[in-house]
Amino acid sequence: MTELTFAKIDQTVLDTLKPPDRTYWLTVGILFAGALAGAGCWIYQILTGIGVAGMNNPVAWGTYLINFVFWVGIAHSGTLISAILHLLRAGWRNPIARAAETMTVFAVCIAGLFPFIHLGRVWLVFYMLPIPNQRNLWQNFQSPLMFDVVAISTYLTVSSLFWYTGMLPDLAVVRDRATGIRKKIFTVISLGWTGAHEQWRHYARGYLFFAALATPLVISVHSVVSWDFALAVVPGWHTTIFAPYFVAGAIHSGLAMVLTLMIPIRKLFHYEKIITIEVLESVAKTIIFTGLIVGFAYGTEFFIAWYSQNPVEMAIFKYRPTGDYALGFWIMVVCNTIIPLLFFFKKIRTTIFWLFGISIFVNIGMWYERFVIIITSVSRDFIPHAWGLYSPTIIEFGIMLGAFCLFFFFFLLFVKHLPSVSMTEMKETVDQGAGHGD
Amino acid sequence: MGTEYRVMGLFTDENRAVSAIEAIEDSPWPLRRVHSPVPSHKISDALGLKKSKVGYFTLAGGIAGFFAGFLLAAFTASQWNLVVSGKPVIALVPFFIVGFEFTILFAVFGNVAGLIHQMQLPEFTGLEEYDPRCSGEHFGILAACKADDLEGLKTFFQTRGGEINIFSEEQEPP
Repeated sequence: MTELTFAKIDQTVLDTLKPPDRTYWLTVGILFAGALAGAGCWIYQILTGIGVAGMNNPVAWGTYLINFVFWVGIAHSGTLISAILHLLRAGWRNPIARAAETMTVFAVCIAGLFPFIHLGRVWLVFYMLPIPNQRNLWQNFQSPLMFDVVAISTYLTVSSLFWYTGMLPDLAVVRDRATGIRKKIFTVISLGWTGAHEQWRHYARGYLFFAALATPLVISVHSVVSWDFALAVVPGWHTTIFAPYFVAGAIHSGLAMVLTLMIPIRKLFHYEKIITIEVLESVAKTIIFTGLIVGFAYGTEFFIAWYSQNPVEMAIFKYRPTGDYALGFWIMVVCNTIIPLLFFFKKIRTTIFWLFGISIFVNIGMWYERFVIIITSVSRDFIPHAWGLYSPTIIEFGIMLGAFCLFFFFFLLFVKHLPSVSMTEMKETVDQGAGHGD
Repeated sequence: MGTEYRVMGLFTDENRAVSAIEAIEDSPWPLRRVHSPVPSHKISDALGLKKSKVGYFTLAGGIAGFFAGFLLAAFTASQWNLVVSGKPVIALVPFFIVGFEFTILFAVFGNVAGLIHQMQLPEFTGLEEYDPRCSGEHFGILAACKADDLEGLKTFFQTRGGEINIFSEEQEPP
C-alpha cells in the first residue's frame, strides 16, 4: 500500500461511480427479473397456501428457514470485519470493510424476509409485535423465536446505522467532487460533513463505541439463532455447543461470501492496488481458522452423541452420514472443512482462481450445513412411525433464486452508486492520520 | 462596516499543518477551525482537544435499553393469567436475553443521538467557509483577521508551505 496516496485512493474509488455501461444495466435487469420471479412464487404461495412448499409433517421447517440461517450467517462476517477486526486493529480489513458492511445490511434484509415467507399467512406477522390488542394475547419472551425477532431487528438496525455512520466522511468526498443533481443528493446525505476537528473528535469516539457494541451483538445474534434449535428438545439440536458452532459457521460462510463478492469487484473496478493479494490472503487465512473451528464442532457433535450413550442422539448422528441425506452431509464436510485446508498452501491462497473457487465451495457447503442440521433432525424424530422425508418444491427453489437475485441486485446497485471502498479508512493506512476509533 | 477575513491555509502534509496550528496559537490571529480528510492524533494533540462526551449518551441509552427490554418481557408475561407448570412469570434468564439485545439497540440509539447532538449535524452553513479539497488530501486551517492583517496571515501560511483560500464576512460596527 506504499504506492498509494490520498489522491490516488479518491480517484480509484470515485472512478467506480462514473455512469455505468449497458452491460451493467443488463445484469441489473436480469437480477431484478430473478427477484420478481421469486416474488411471483411467494405471491403464488400466499394465494394458494403454504402446501405448495415441500414442508410436511414431520418436516415443518424447510428451505425457508435454511435460507434464513444461511443469510444471517452471511451477514456476520461484515460485522466481524467492520467491528471486531477494527477493535483488533487489523489493517487488512480497511479495503474490504465497506463492502462487507454492505453485504451485512443486505444479507440481514434478505434473511428477514424468510420468516415472513415461512409464516404462510404473512399478514398475521403483527402477532409477533408487542402492541396492545383486543385478543389479550401478548408475546411470550421465554420463546427463542421471540428472542430472534428482537435480535434480528436489532442487528438490522445497528448494522444499518453503523454502515451509514462509517460512510459519512466518504459521502462528503463524493459531494465535493460531484456536480448537478448528484451534488445536491450527496450534500443532503452527507449531512454537511466538513471533516472539522470538532466533528472528528466526536466521530472517532462514536465509531469506537459502534464497534464495541456491534461485537457482542454479532455474537449474540447468531447464538440466538442457534437457540431456535438448541432450546428445542429435538435430537441433533438440543446441545450446548450450538451457539459457538453457529457463530463460527456464520463467520466462515460470511468470509467466503466476502471473497466471492470482492474478487470480481477488484477486477472490474481496478482495485488491485487497494484490495491487494495480501488482503485476500488474510481473508483466506481466517477461513482456515473458522473452517477448523467448524470441523472441530462437527467432530464434537459426533463424540458427544457417542459419549452420552443416548440412543436417540446416537441414531441421528448415524443417520446423518449414512441416511437419506448423506450426500448433503458429505458435501457439508468436504466443502466446509476439507477444501478450505487447501489455503494452507501459499500458492493456493494467493491465486485468484483458487480463492474464488474455494469461496464458492464454502458457500455451497455452508448452505448444506443448515440443510443437514434442520432437515435430518426433524425428519427422524423420536418416534419411528412419525418419520418422514422432505424435498424442496419448485416454488421453494424459485423463492431461493429470487432471494439470491435480490441480494446481488442490491449489491450491484450499491457498488455503482456509493463508494464501495472506504476512502477515509484507506487513507488511514497511508502514513498520515490515525485510526477512526482512537 | 469592517470586514473580517477568514483565511484558510491548505497543507498536503500533516506535520506542516500541525506546526502551523501550533504557530498560529501563539499569533494574534484567532484559529477558527481545522479540517482534515482523516482523523488525526497529531492535530487533536496540537489543538488540545478533550475527550468527546458521546459516551455518556451511549451509556444512558444502554442502561435505558436494558430496563426497557427486561420490563417489556416482564410486562407481556404478567399479562398472561395462566401460570404454566408453576414456572415463574418473571423468568430472569430468558428476559435477560431480551434485556441484553435492547441494551445494545438503545446504546446505539444513544450513540447516534450523541453524535448528532455533539457534532451538530445536519448543519449545512459550515460549507460556506469550507474548501472541498479538505475532504481529499488537504488539511485546512481556518483563521480570522482584519483587512489590514490579511497580507500578514497569508504570508504566515505561505511561508509554511500552505496554499490559500480567502473567505470574507461583512461585520456590523460595534
